[in-house]
Amino acid sequence: MIRHAFTAMGTEVELLLEAEDSSLLTEVEAEFRRLETVLSRFRSDSELAQLNEAGHGHVGPELLELIELAVEARTASCGRFDPTVHDAVVAAGYDRSFELLQDAGADPAAAPPRVGGAITIDRTTGRVALEPGFRIDLGGIAKGWAADRALAVLANAGPALVNAGGDIAATGRVWPIAVDAGDSKITLGLEDGGLATSGRDRRAWVRNGEARHHLIDPVTGMPEESDVMTVTVAAGSACEAEVLAKTLFLAGDSQRALDEAELAGIPTVLGTSTGEVLLAGGLR
Amino acid sequence: MTTDHTPRLYALAASILGFFLAWAGIAAHPWQTTSSAASQSAALETYSRRLNADAALVAALAGRRKAASSVRVVTLPPLTTTRTS
Repeated sequence: MIRHAFTAMGTEVELLLEAEDSSLLTEVEAEFRRLETVLSRFRSDSELAQLNEAGHGHVGPELLELIELAVEARTASCGRFDPTVHDAVVAAGYDRSFELLQDAGADPAAAPPRVGGAITIDRTTGRVALEPGFRIDLGGIAKGWAADRALAVLANAGPALVNAGGDIAATGRVWPIAVDAGDSKITLGLEDGGLATSGRDRRAWVRNGEARHHLIDPVTGMPEESDVMTVTVAAGSACEAEVLAKTLFLAGDSQRALDEAELAGIPTVLGTSTGEVLLAGGLR
Repeated sequence: MTTDHTPRLYALAASILGFFLAWAGIAAHPWQTTSSAASQSAALETYSRRLNADAALVAALAGRRKAASSVRVVTLPPLTTTRTS
């Protein structure tokens, strides 16, 4: 088995491939780096940053597809997943690449920014317009989407797995994957599909003495507060798993998240703030 | 000798009036405060809205699953880890 790791899109990317030819791995790494130049909200020259700056404009096919997926996810999740959380995430303190975050002291009295802005998409012309006062953050969906794309390339060579900072796409064999949920030692065997984890155990920081994290409740515009620490979900693709994990994380409390996962049949591993690890959606 | 029925009529009218007043008083449920009735109604309304929202969300989540992934808990040594992305 060939293993190849690198840093891109603000996270660690790992490629596993059961094949002799490793040339596809460098090709996939180059594609991840190219996608970062399109989708990063931290690079002022990225297509996404320029769209956010102007509020409207023509975008390339990748950004267009991803924005469409994000808008569909917002509808499907009844607004829990929302790409217009950009300003709320920045207000919470996540205003630069995560490794550069410091306690810079945001204004604690400032009202949380609104979430839920309209996004108008013209598929034929590739034009996107944002409601004034709203900007997009695709961090909640881009890595899973990129992992799915990379897997489609690697799968031509043999059984493969792509892990983009925890968002995993895999095919071709049973891939044993550890779930990082508190003290849990659970390992899931994923044969074909995606796995993703949303949580407040990482990408969390302190702002003005208060613990903050990157998962924004669209209703309040503030980081979600509940007894849920992490949610890991398996789905048909990494992109879909990422949306579902975030949707369940924002359910409000662990019991409600588990009930929803059980009713919808979504394989889920949920870690609570007290260290409990609970399974739902067919996992035993 | 004639009988004066006026006092009887007054008494009958007063008792009918008293009966209806008592009926209206009981029907108004004076032991149940207005604010608790209103808050109960609001709570029921909120609960109903939340149930409807949950039902819609679960239906949407279930509908969104294009293909069920094949996944199960295993005891194999892990090759990689999923964590908060």
